[in-house]
Amino acid sequence: MMDVGPLALAIAWVLAIYAIGMSVTGALRRKREFVASAENATLAVWGFVVIAVAALLHALATHDFNIEYVAHYSSSTLPLNYTIAALWGGQAGSLLFWSLILTSMSSVVILQNREKNRELMPYVTATLMVIALFFLSMLMFVTPPFQRLAFTPAEGRDLNPLLQNYWMTIHPPALYTGYVGCAVPFAFAMAALATGKLDDVWIRSTRRWTLLAWFFLSLGNLFGAEWAYLVLGWGGYWAWDPVENAAFMPWLTCTAFLHSVMIQEKKNMLKVWNMVLVILTFALTIFGTFLTRSGVISSVHSFTQSGLGPFFMGFLGLTLAVSLGMLFWRLPLLKSENQLDSMLSRESAFLLNNLILVGIAFAVFWGTVFPVISEAVRGVKITVGPPFFNRVNAPLGLILLFLTGVGPVIAWRRASARNLQKNFLIPLGLGFVTGVALFIAGVRHYYAIVSFSLCAFVMATIVMEFYRGVSARRAMVGENVLTALAHLVSKNRRRYGGYIIHIAMVMMFLAITGTSAFKQEQQITVKPGDTFPIGGYTLRYDGVEPRETPHIAYLTARIAVVKDGKQIDTLTPEKRFYKKPEQPTTEVAIRSTLGGDLYLVLGSFDDATHLATIQAYVNPLVGFLWWGGIVLAIGTGITIWPTRTPARSPAYVPTGAREGAAD
Amino acid sequence: MNRKVRFLIASLLLVGAVAYLMYTGVKQSAVYYLTIDEFLVKKDTLANEGIRVAGRVALGSVTKKMTPAGEELNFRLGDFKTDGDGDGGQRSVPVYFVGITPDMFKAEGGSDVIVEGKYRDGVVHAQSVLTSCPSKYEAEAAGAAPASN
Repeated sequence: MMDVGPLALAIAWVLAIYAIGMSVTGALRRKREFVASAENATLAVWGFVVIAVAALLHALATHDFNIEYVAHYSSSTLPLNYTIAALWGGQAGSLLFWSLILTSMSSVVILQNREKNRELMPYVTATLMVIALFFLSMLMFVTPPFQRLAFTPAEGRDLNPLLQNYWMTIHPPALYTGYVGCAVPFAFAMAALATGKLDDVWIRSTRRWTLLAWFFLSLGNLFGAEWAYLVLGWGGYWAWDPVENAAFMPWLTCTAFLHSVMIQEKKNMLKVWNMVLVILTFALTIFGTFLTRSGVISSVHSFTQSGLGPFFMGFLGLTLAVSLGMLFWRLPLLKSENQLDSMLSRESAFLLNNLILVGIAFAVFWGTVFPVISEAVRGVKITVGPPFFNRVNAPLGLILLFLTGVGPVIAWRRASARNLQKNFLIPLGLGFVTGVALFIAGVRHYYAIVSFSLCAFVMATIVMEFYRGVSARRAMVGENVLTALAHLVSKNRRRYGGYIIHIAMVMMFLAITGTSAFKQEQQITVKPGDTFPIGGYTLRYDGVEPRETPHIAYLTARIAVVKDGKQIDTLTPEKRFYKKPEQPTTEVAIRSTLGGDLYLVLGSFDDATHLATIQAYVNPLVGFLWWGGIVLAIGTGITIWPTRTPARSPAYVPTGAREGAAD
Repeated sequence: MNRKVRFLIASLLLVGAVAYLMYTGVKQSAVYYLTIDEFLVKKDTLANEGIRVAGRVALGSVTKKMTPAGEELNFRLGDFKTDGDGDGGQRSVPVYFVGITPDMFKAEGGSDVIVEGKYRDGVVHAQSVLTSCPSKYEAEAAGAAPASN
């Protein structure tokens, strides 16, 4: 195998510089052929990155252990799917993978906009290629993925067993796609600032991209949570670890952005705010990659220098300085054309939603970097744990949930008493009844009562919206319920898709409330035959069976699940001892029902006495988190699906034609 | 202008509430993060404070016992330079922990761990013992010769 990979990277690197130079020059000198050449160069960058990725995949698949990366992250016995996943299992590979997604998206953007947004496109291309150049530079000079070793080891070190899990193979691609997707609206925002075309064209042109990025960020977070839940064996799915926060923060600001652009589209307000949000979101994706990859802030890892940190910080600083500088320069053109009329209006609800989302993002950021801040200010490193995040985010999250019900149905400008009564009387009543019913049923966890009541309230507003829409269609067109529902949704994809996403959010709030308020856990040492109760079940430990394959030795505990005197299930939590590399892992056993999960871990086992330590958890409603993810996917699919009506953004505008017509 | 003032007040209330929650949140859950060397210097001032100490488990110092509440773990935590030994134990601290021993914790000692808990009567009473995680694996692998396990 010739060294195709490094060569392809080098060519891509040169072409990226060429594309940046040509597109900016072309825009400034109004040379269309320069811009066209830059766009073709961008497509070529994509092609060469594809070749580099193919070369690395080939090296992985053929077990070329002379390449350091292959020797570190794979072995000849690793199954093929994990061999492919090893592409993003390590640092250099994941940066290469990042570049692949970024250049693929850049190419799609260019092909989409061959005939439109001609004024914005040179700067869009330049921005995307600057980002690509940064990542390609890392791959060229800091963490080369094709680094060869002085000798060829006979065998690779293999992929960390913890990463050999289905969810871990799809979590990074989803998250990276989300991260990189945020670069597209950012690039259009930069182009809008550079050209002064600051109407909402850049927003309309990137609406689907933003939604796509948001969707993948959501999936990335959910897949990561699922992986933590199934693999890490501590009974939870979210620990406010810096790496989790890194993925969560851009999701928050991206969610805020998705909502606030509606205000700009409808009311021409919040223009500066939208710019700030899109810049912030992109910066947080870079910050997230930096956090995950540099190990600078971490609870579990000690402070290891990987050499990447300073470069990422530099790029982040540059991004913020340039983009905020451009925003400041264009401030005079970003005057709001309307102002808020009343606190009780959709504008206010959206604004509040935005403030809360950004407030949560800020609190998460603060908690994540607190060790660094406290060390700089007081000389001691102080970390804040989950109690900090929960304390701040629980009330904010509940206000957000409330607004999920209010925002979509409250009137624009100023809500009349009639509007409020029509839309909110029944839902509020239902929420109130839910709360009272829970109280009477003996629930005394007040956050949980408020949360469940709000869930009922939000669901009621959404159901009423669907009901009204369907009734109106039935009355006017005379359709049956299902046809009316289908037509209603397909004619207003964005609105009703959004409602479905809101339903998904309610489901996730149910799960989060259930697991944080009513989780039960017990840790107990038992001998064969012992029973112990947890959460309505009685568990009987029936002993441990050892078994062995050439690669793994297993210790499998058999635990009978008894309910109402009848055995309903047998769960088998395991310990596995991988022989190469030598590493034990824990395999949890889960019994899932609608009401929640029974989650068992075999903690430790003593050969001589046959005593075993079992950790048992009952996680009420946790399944709604994953089912909510499915509903979220459906809602996003409905919203994002292309409509047959042509896009509203104007077709080709000759360069210079808009000069006199600037707003 | 009255309207603007009202929006300003509402925003300030929100910002104030968030700031209050963050301030009290930090107070409640602040934990000192120290390396074993820093801890040994400051340990007398840290009694009963929440602490997180990073260090290496001294070789041969680990004892385990099954108790009804889980596995009881005793070991000495020392610095990285002396492989946890701390020059015959002078520069190390005993740690006591009951719970599930993490998978990556080596019974013979030598694991790099972060111990979270409180320091009382010369012993760190740990609520959790954390060992390396996947991204640490990355850092650990870097520099070491591959396939040398």
